[in-house]
Amino acid sequence: MKLHYLKAIYYFGNQAFEGLTTLNIKEHMFILLNYFPAICGRFRRTESGRPYIKCNDCGVRFIEAKCEKTMDEWLEMMKENASIEKYLTPNQIIGPELAFSPTVLVQFTKFKCGGMSVGLSWAHVLGDAFSAAEFMNTLGKVVADEKPNRHINLAQMKTKSTNTKSPIKIMEDPLSIKRVGPVGDNWLTVNNCKMEAFSFSVNDTQLSHFQSKISSKGTNFTPFEALSAVIWQCIAKIRPESEPKVVTICKKSEQNKVDGNNQLISVVKADYPIVEVDPSELAALMKNASFDEREKIEIAIKKDDGVSDFIVYGANLTFVNLEEVKCYEFEYRKQKPVYVGYRLDGISDSGAVLLLPGPPKNGGRTVVAILPEDEVIELKSELKSEWFMD
Amino acid sequence: MVGISIAILRLGPEEIVNIWRSLDIDLVHILCSSFLIIFICTVYFMSKPRSVYLVDYACYKPPIIWRVPFSTFMEHSRLILKDNLKSVDFQMRILERSGLGEETCLPPAIHYIPPTPTMEAAREEAQVVIFSAIDSLMQKTGIKAKDIDILIVNCSLFSPTPSLSAMVVNKYKLRSNIKSYNLSGMGCSAGLISMDLARDLLQAHPNSYALVVSTEIITPNYYKGSERAMLLPNCLFRMGSAAILLSNKNRDKRRAKYRLVHVVRTHKGSDDKAYKCVYEQEDSQGKVGINLSKDLMVIAAEALKSNITTIGPLVLPASEQILFLFTLIGRKIFNPKWKPYIPDFKQAFEHFCIHAGGRAVIDELQKNLQLSSEHVEASRMTLHRFGNTSSSSLWYEMSYIEAKGRMKKGDRVWQIAFGSGFKCNSAVWKCNRTIKTPTDGPWQDCIDRYPVHIPEIVKL
Repeated sequence: MKLHYLKAIYYFGNQAFEGLTTLNIKEHMFILLNYFPAICGRFRRTESGRPYIKCNDCGVRFIEAKCEKTMDEWLEMMKENASIEKYLTPNQIIGPELAFSPTVLVQFTKFKCGGMSVGLSWAHVLGDAFSAAEFMNTLGKVVADEKPNRHINLAQMKTKSTNTKSPIKIMEDPLSIKRVGPVGDNWLTVNNCKMEAFSFSVNDTQLSHFQSKISSKGTNFTPFEALSAVIWQCIAKIRPESEPKVVTICKKSEQNKVDGNNQLISVVKADYPIVEVDPSELAALMKNASFDEREKIEIAIKKDDGVSDFIVYGANLTFVNLEEVKCYEFEYRKQKPVYVGYRLDGISDSGAVLLLPGPPKNGGRTVVAILPEDEVIELKSELKSEWFMD
Repeated sequence: MVGISIAILRLGPEEIVNIWRSLDIDLVHILCSSFLIIFICTVYFMSKPRSVYLVDYACYKPPIIWRVPFSTFMEHSRLILKDNLKSVDFQMRILERSGLGEETCLPPAIHYIPPTPTMEAAREEAQVVIFSAIDSLMQKTGIKAKDIDILIVNCSLFSPTPSLSAMVVNKYKLRSNIKSYNLSGMGCSAGLISMDLARDLLQAHPNSYALVVSTEIITPNYYKGSERAMLLPNCLFRMGSAAILLSNKNRDKRRAKYRLVHVVRTHKGSDDKAYKCVYEQEDSQGKVGINLSKDLMVIAAEALKSNITTIGPLVLPASEQILFLFTLIGRKIFNPKWKPYIPDFKQAFEHFCIHAGGRAVIDELQKNLQLSSEHVEASRMTLHRFGNTSSSSLWYEMSYIEAKGRMKKGDRVWQIAFGSGFKCNSAVWKCNRTIKTPTDGPWQDCIDRYPVHIPEIVKL
């Protein structure tokens, strides 16, 4: 997961940060960081070359920014061009010097109207979106002077110990990951084309409309399965020569583990042309995809002692189910965010689609698609024409 | 005197009366003699220097959120000095051997990448450190602002207009007839220079309180260039300040913590090398910084020797002085190859506060004065916990000794400070009352962790 980065932007109205100086904001963050010593550390390499985090109290990079637009103006501008959101988050990768690269960066951008956006750049290697959301929610608790219900968790203990005595079977790499050329100390995915993100919301009525349209033979599909199936088909239509027959699905693991990368990673393979089939069949495939590839992934990584580089998001077209991410629970001084945007950076060429909860006012879902830039317009028109989504 | 008194005692009362009568003293004689005695006593008491008492002092404790762990310092250095990897490397090596810990603090302006040292930020730092120390002192001593007669503020590198002492007068609404002084540019030994000045003023003004504030403001003085000799101060100097209340009032005799016994100042500025060894200048790119010459330790040792030569006779017991004299004569007349006798100052003092200028300074003094590691513990631990806080470091060290419960009535303390110029100043204090382990002060929350073993080289 080390080549992927999670970006989250929380938009707050003027009351949340009114009268606060940078020092006030930082004071709370210091308290927060006492509970996350690993985030304050920096990467080093062992003698064998395997990276590890040294918890050396280096901290989180803090960036202050100003925007000349009001928040409403900005959100309007985003509807036309979602990629401007990248200015609200820090975009630094880990590398070229691992020891001096922060894994988490925050950017506080003040808008002309007094609103503030909190942009988080979170290295996926630390944990998945659920962990990142937990980090921000804990900040909210600290600001409200509540004691977070956390133990200081220093190291991720592996529950299964690998039996090093038995010979590791030489297996093929699992489908969900892709081996990439050695990136050395520059933890960045190299793409063949520029990736662009765009997002759209699906409100509750549209959502139920979808689900009913796609359900067949009495099987009900979850919003994730329904929407993913639809988008899969649309993408297949716009990629006629290279239909995505294999799709990776990431969703929350049922076990309530500590922070880290705990998502269930599974793969769905369709042996028939996607474009022609009924979306409900695709949804059914997704529903039944339950084989957790994580163990296979671990074995593949262990083959050379954790030194090779792999990617997950974008190895195939990836659908990430973040419906349960508690992103709207981050309250700053009792103010909830007006809007929350999540993105993934470092996605490889096949692209990824994230399904997030929608703003509490509207309900429904927010869909964020990160695809090669020339595919974005086509997908938008496809969705509009076929499914009346904009 | 003793002989006469014994003789008198042996005589009976009648005989004493007889002798008295035979002396044939009349009223004039008695009056003249009494006047003479009274006159002599008056002259004696008037010319005796007033005792200067240190009522109490307070040190500023920076908030933990302004701390600079090694990793943070190095990361910032790397980002700021991006084109000068050799300088970054140099800083890393200095930091590894510096003897500083991970809790030393820098002001907020310096935490920016690159630092944003504006005058406003410098004033804010000054206000925070100075006012916190004074507030703490006022709470400890119960003194009111209107009681302060003399105010001395020393801060070497930041000297705005109006001065920092004017800033204090303004904040605390001190009296309009206050005698205020602001000492700037005098380096790390300015704290003891302020003590000396306060002592002299308290001789001239009876029944007065003197407030002395020693500090160093870091914000405007962070060196932004990459010249190696000038990067050293960045690695060592940290935030700190101390506020001290001195008094010559009789009623403070009981409650004061210490009495000032001696202040000895030695200035080696007449020697060019000494004058230039700590020199503020512009580097080849026009960036201002403090250049530390390579002979610093040698010059410091020389200055110390001069200072010891003056203070030795004042504090050493006769035995040590005689031994020193013999060896000196012996070396001059008999054999120059005799090893110079280093007087054992441990017989003169119970506690030593050596300015925490850097690990090298403390090592050098420990060697020169043949002190044990317990004697220099206060200095080393202050360097570890607070860094080099310049003129106020001596007070953090005193505070350490008190926090450890080692300060007993009658203990003598020797404070030694070095500073640019090159100066070596000493102050000798005598503890007035046994000090109970304080429940406040900068060491309050961490004293139990100390002493800490400080490795030669810390692996970063």
